[in-house]
Amino acid sequence: MTGTAPSAPTVMLTVNGTAHSLALPGDTPLLYVLRNDLGLNGPKFGCGLGECGACTVLMDGMATRACVTRLATAAGRDIVTLEGLGTLDAPHPVQAAFIAEQAAQCGYCLNGMIMGTAAFLARNPTPTEAEARAALRHHLCRCGTHLEILRAVMRAADLLKAAEGPSA
Amino acid sequence: MSAPHVSEPKPDRDALLTRTGTLAVLRPSQHVRGLVPTPPPREGALDLFLFLDDEGAVLAFNGHVDLGTGIRTALAQIVAEELDVPFAAVTMVLGHTQATPNQGATIASDSIQVSATPLRRAAAQARRHLVGLAAEALGLPAEDLTVTEGVVHPRAGGNAGITYGALLAGRRERLLLADEVALKPVAEHRVIGRRMPRVDIPAKATGSFVYVHDVRVPGMLHGRVVRPPYAGVDAGDFIGKSLIRVEEASIAHIPGVVAVVTHGDFIGIVAEREEQAAEAARRLVVHWKPTPPLPDLTDVAGALRANPSDARTLLDKGDVEAARAGAAVKMDRVYVWPYQMHASIGPSCAVADVGPDGAVIWSGTQNPYPLRADIALLLGLREETIEIIRHEAAGCYGRNCADDVAADAALLSRAVGRPVRVQLTREQEHAWEPKGAAQLMEIKGGINADGTPAAYDFSTRYPSNAATTLALLLTGRVPAVNPVFEMGDRTAIPPYAYDHMRVVAHDMAPIVRAAWLRGVSALPNSFAHESYVDELAAEAGVDPVDYRLRHLHDPRAVDLVKEVAARAGWAHRTEPRREVVDGDVVRGQGFAYALYVHSKFPGYGAAWSAWVAEVEVNTTTGDVAVKRVVVGQDSGLMINPAGIEHQIHGNVIQSTSRALKEEVSFTDTAVASREWGAYPILTFPEVPVINVVLMPRPDDPPLGSGESASVPSAAAIANAIFDATGVRMREPPFTPDKVRAALAGEAPPRPPKPEKAKRNWFTLAGAALAGALGMAAVALPMRGTIAPITPPDPTSFSADMIARGRQLAALGDCAVCHTVPGGAENAGGRAMETPFGTVYSTNLTPDPETGIGRWSYAAFERAMREGISRDGRHLYPAFPYTAFTKATDTDLQALYAYLMSQPPVSAPTPDAHMAFPFNIRPLMAGWNALFLKPGQMEADPARSPQWNRGQYLVEGLGHCGACHTPRNALGAEKAGAAHLAGGWVDGWEAPALTSLSSAPIPWSEAELYSYLRTGFSRFHGTAAGPMAPVVQELAHLPDADIRAMATYLASFSGPAMADPAIKAAELNARAESTLRPLDTLGGKLYEGACAACHSQNGPTLFGVRPSLALNTNVHAARSDNLIRVILDGIPSPAARDLGDMPAFRDSLDDGQVAALARYIRSTFAPDAPAWEGLDGTVARLRGMKGTH
Repeated sequence: MTGTAPSAPTVMLTVNGTAHSLALPGDTPLLYVLRNDLGLNGPKFGCGLGECGACTVLMDGMATRACVTRLATAAGRDIVTLEGLGTLDAPHPVQAAFIAEQAAQCGYCLNGMIMGTAAFLARNPTPTEAEARAALRHHLCRCGTHLEILRAVMRAADLLKAAEGPSA
Repeated sequence: MSAPHVSEPKPDRDALLTRTGTLAVLRPSQHVRGLVPTPPPREGALDLFLFLDDEGAVLAFNGHVDLGTGIRTALAQIVAEELDVPFAAVTMVLGHTQATPNQGATIASDSIQVSATPLRRAAAQARRHLVGLAAEALGLPAEDLTVTEGVVHPRAGGNAGITYGALLAGRRERLLLADEVALKPVAEHRVIGRRMPRVDIPAKATGSFVYVHDVRVPGMLHGRVVRPPYAGVDAGDFIGKSLIRVEEASIAHIPGVVAVVTHGDFIGIVAEREEQAAEAARRLVVHWKPTPPLPDLTDVAGALRANPSDARTLLDKGDVEAARAGAAVKMDRVYVWPYQMHASIGPSCAVADVGPDGAVIWSGTQNPYPLRADIALLLGLREETIEIIRHEAAGCYGRNCADDVAADAALLSRAVGRPVRVQLTREQEHAWEPKGAAQLMEIKGGINADGTPAAYDFSTRYPSNAATTLALLLTGRVPAVNPVFEMGDRTAIPPYAYDHMRVVAHDMAPIVRAAWLRGVSALPNSFAHESYVDELAAEAGVDPVDYRLRHLHDPRAVDLVKEVAARAGWAHRTEPRREVVDGDVVRGQGFAYALYVHSKFPGYGAAWSAWVAEVEVNTTTGDVAVKRVVVGQDSGLMINPAGIEHQIHGNVIQSTSRALKEEVSFTDTAVASREWGAYPILTFPEVPVINVVLMPRPDDPPLGSGESASVPSAAAIANAIFDATGVRMREPPFTPDKVRAALAGEAPPRPPKPEKAKRNWFTLAGAALAGALGMAAVALPMRGTIAPITPPDPTSFSADMIARGRQLAALGDCAVCHTVPGGAENAGGRAMETPFGTVYSTNLTPDPETGIGRWSYAAFERAMREGISRDGRHLYPAFPYTAFTKATDTDLQALYAYLMSQPPVSAPTPDAHMAFPFNIRPLMAGWNALFLKPGQMEADPARSPQWNRGQYLVEGLGHCGACHTPRNALGAEKAGAAHLAGGWVDGWEAPALTSLSSAPIPWSEAELYSYLRTGFSRFHGTAAGPMAPVVQELAHLPDADIRAMATYLASFSGPAMADPAIKAAELNARAESTLRPLDTLGGKLYEGACAACHSQNGPTLFGVRPSLALNTNVHAARSDNLIRVILDGIPSPAARDLGDMPAFRDSLDDGQVAALARYIRSTFAPDAPAWEGLDGTVARLRGMKGTH
C-alpha cells in the first residue's frame, strides 16, 4: 500500500469475508481501494458517475456503485466483490449461469451485470423477463450482449431455486 | 483453468525457437502496408505461426487481437481442427510484438476470413509433417495413418500409436509455411462448426481475467492526463500550441503528486495513488488560448457540403443524365448520418515502462505493430527496443483511445523513470475518441413509368481518417494536418443492377477527430441504398422485397433475402400498411439487405446480411420501439456458430442503438457529449427480440462476421417506420422529436446551435445596497477588554459537563463554521462569504495566543450574548450571537467547559475583508443597538414543554434562523412573519420552514424528525449543502431534543396533509408518467445521469432514493440549490446510510446543466413556473467558491 496519507484515520472494511484496516482519507473512492489496495479486479472503472454500473459491488447485501461510494460510507460494512461471489472452481449460481449462457463479449460490463443480478435475485427470486430488463436498465452494455445476459438472469434464478432445495 | 489470474500468454518467440523437442512453422515476415502502414521487416526475418513441443503444448500465433468478439476461441478451433489435437491443448498468442506476426490492424472483419489463413495452413502442414515422422517411426506408409487428439495411429486400428510429443522428442523441426497445403475436408470437421464455449468467459465472470486495466507492475505509479479545451478536434495550427501556462501551485495541497509533465499541449500528472492523480488532474489550473470555432455541426449536411473534397468516381455506367431526364418521376433524395461514438464501456487504459534503451507497453490496442511505430516516433527509440504486450480491453468496435492512452503512459513513464498506468476518464474517452464520422449521401434518380429504376446517381461524403495518435499531435511531434483517407467508398456501390448508375465518393479531411467505426462508411451508404430502393418500390406500388429481388442477381443474396423474408413472416404489401396496434400505436415491418464490402476500393465482401425489423410507433409521442428483428447471415463456413450468433446479436443491438438514439453533440468549439446522459445507448428494456437465421454454407470459405449484421440496420428500421406511418425518415437517429416532426410534415428539428461561451458577471448587490443605506453612523465607544486568564485546567470541569457541552457545541454547529475543510476541529480560519465581505471564523480551541485559552467565562459569555470579543472588539453577526444570547447560563457554562477542554491548536485567524462601512468594527455597536435583543429564552406557558424545549434549541444555540430567516439590508434577521421564512447562506437557499415552504408536501413533525435525525425524509429528500454537516452535528443530540425541535418547527408549517403517502405516490407517478428520455437534451441527461439513483423505477441500490417530484429544491422559486447539487454533488452526506451523490461539474457543461435543471423542473414540478436565466445561473454557480 503506497502513499497512504499519514494523517488519515484508519477505516475498517470487511471485503469478501476478510477484515481490512486502511489508513486512507474518507473521501477515497471505494473502487480504487478495492482495485488498487486490495487487488480486486472484478469491479471495473466505467464512468466514475454511477451511470453505467461496471463498478458494482454488494455493500451489506445491496448493489452499490463503488466508483461514487466514498470509503467513509463503506466503513464498517460488509463488501462483496465479483471475486467474493464465487471462483473459477466454485462459481456462484449467478456466475455459473452467465458462463453457461456465454453472457459476455468483451466482458467489461460483466462484473456489474453479475453483481446487479445477484442483488436483484436476492430481492426477487422469481422474476419475469420484463422485471429483469427493468432491473438492469441502468447497467450499460455496448457489445450488445443483452439477450444472453437476460437468459443468464433467468437461468440464475432457476439455479438459485434449485440450490435452495425442495423446502423452498 | 485454476490459475488465480488468467492473463495473456506472453512467450518469447526467440527463446522458443532455441528449444529442442519442438516443431515450428515459420513464414518470411511480410511488409504490411495496409490502412495503418508499418515499416518493412528486416531482411531475413521470420514470423512464427505455430509451435509444438514434446510435452504436447500447442502455441498458435496471430497478429490480430481479440476485441471481445471471441476470435481467440475461433482461431483455436481452426488450429485444433487442422492439427487434430484437443481443442483445450491449443493456446492462442495474440498481438504481442515480441511473439506474433505483423498482420496489420484488427479491422475490417478480417481475422477469420483473411488473417487466420496462414495459421490454418500452418496447422495442416504441421499435421502432415508429424504424420510423416510417425510413418518413419512406426514403419508404416503415411497414407495408412490418421490422427486422433494428437495421437498418430493406423487407420486400421490396433494398439500402435505415437503422440506428437513423443515424435518431437530430441528434434527441432522447422518448417517454412507452404503456399499450398491440403486442408481437411468439411465432412471430416469435428471442432470447426461446433458451438464452442468461449475460453475467456469463465475467468471474466469470476474476476480472474486480466484486462489491460488490471495490469499492475512493480513500482507502478498512477497517471492522469489533462486534455486541451479543443476536445475531440485534431487538426489546425492551434493543435499542440494552445497551452499558455500550468499553475502547478494549484495542486500543491494534494498529497502524493510525483510530477506534472507538460510537452506542447500534452499535460499529464503522475501520483503515488490513483485518486491522487485523479484529484490533481481535476484541480490543476491550466490557462489555454481560445479555441477557434468548429463549423456549425448542428447542420451536418451543410458542414459536409462545405468541407473541401475531391470527387472520385467509383462507377459510371449507362447514361445517368439522359436516363434521369427521361424518368416518369424524378426522385432526388438526401440521407444524413450523424457523428457517432464507439462508446466503449471502459475508458482506455495502458501501462508503460520506459527506460533509456527501450520500453514495454501494456495496451488494449487493436494494432500492436502500428502502435509500436507510433511509440518509437514519439520517444525517439528504435522500434525493436519496444515491446507491446496486448491485453484485452473494453470492446472498441473500431478505433477508440486505446493507442492514445498508451502514448500518454509512455510520455509519463519516461518523465518519471518508473512504470506508469494511465486511465482515461469517461469524459476524456467520450470527448476524444475518434468519432464514427458523419456522412452525407445524395441520390439523384427517378423511376420509369413501368416502375423500373431510371437512374441512380449516388454521391457520398465522408470526413474521416486514421486519427493520428493524440500524443504525437499534442506534443507537436507530428504536424496536425489531416491527411485525406479514401474510406467513404465502403459498400458505395449499391447491390442492385441499376442500368444507369454513377457512384462518386467525395474524399475529404476530417472535421472533428474521426476514424473507423463498425460498418465504416458502409452502414451509412447502405442506409441510403436500402432506403432508396424502398422508396422506389413504394413509388412503383410493388412489394419492397419483390422489388429488390427483381434487381438483385447475386444468388447467395437472393437465397438470403428469400429465406429471411420467409422466416420473418414478411407481409406482402404495395403501400404502407399503417397497422394499428392500440390507440396511437401503429406497427410496421421493414426490410433491408447488404453485403458488407470493405477495404481498399473495390474491396471485397464479408458476410451477407438481411434484416426484417418490426417497429411500433406512437404517432402522438413519436416514440419508436424496435420490437423484433429477424436477421439472416451467410457467413460461408462457420467456425463457431455460437460466436457468429453472438456477433449478430451484438451488431443488431448496437446498430439499433445507433439508429434510434445516437448522435454526438458539439459546442461551438468541441465535443459536448462527455458521459452517458448526453450520449445515450440502448438499454435493456429497449432491446428487441432477435431471431437469427444462419445460412448453411459449409463448403464456402469462412467470412468475417464482426460487422455485417450492422449494415442493414438503419434502413430496415426506417423502412419499418414507413410501413407503420407512411413517413420516410432519412436522418438517423430516429428520435421522437424527429418522428413527430416528420409525422407533422415538418423538416427534421435541429439541435439548438451552441452559444458562444458567455461570461456572466454578478456583482454583490447586497454590498452596494447596504452601503447606500449607511449605518446610521452611531459611533459608540469600544467596549472594555476583559482581563486575560491562565487557561483553566480541563480537569476542573466535570466529565458530565464536558459531555453536555459537546452536545451543545454540536447543536450550535460550532465546528461547521470554525473548522477549515480537512483542518483541526474548531481551530477557525474558515472563510465566510457574506454580502458585505469575507470574514474568517475564529479559533475556538484553548490556545492561549491564537485561540480562546485566555478567555474567562465572563469573556466567553459576553461574546456569546453580545458579540464582543475578549479584547473589546465587536464580532460580526456572521457569528450568530443574536441567537446564542438566548441560551441558559448552565448551557453556556457547559459549552465553555467543553471548548476549554479541547486540545489547543495554534492557528491565527486571518483578517476579515469587509466592504466599507462594515470594515469599521465599532459600527457594529450601532448594529447591536438596532438588532440585538439580549436575554434568555422565555418559555411560552400556553405551549407544551416539548414545544418550549424545541423553541429553546432552535432559536438559541441551534440558531436555525441564522440561515433560514431572511435578512434585512443590514444583514440582520427579519422578524415577525419573516421569521424562518427562508434565507440565503453561502450561495445556498435555506428553504422556508414555515407555511411559505415550497415543498409539495408540507413538513410534518414526523418528517422533520426523520430529516434532522437521519438526513433524509421520504417526502422531502436529503440534506445537502450546508445542511448536511448540520445533521451530522445533530447526531450528537439525544432523540428527545431532536423530537422537540421537530415539534417546535412543525408548529410553523401549514396544516398537515391528510395522507401524505398517497399524495407522494401521486406526485411520483405523475412525474414518472411524463418522463421523456429521448425528446430533449435534459431528458437524455436525466435518464442517463440521474435516473439510476433517483427514478422510482430504478434499480435498488444502497442508500436512499430521493424523489425529485417531492424535493423542495425542485419546487423552489430559484434553481440555485438544485444546480449546486448537480455541479458538486454531496461531498459529505449527512449520514452514512444515505449513499453518495457524485459531482457532475467536470462531466456536464453549463448548457447541459441548464437543460437538465429545466427538464427536472418541468417534469417534477410541472405546476411551478419555469426558471428564468438558467444558463446564467449555472455559470455563476460554477464560478462560486462556496465555503460549505
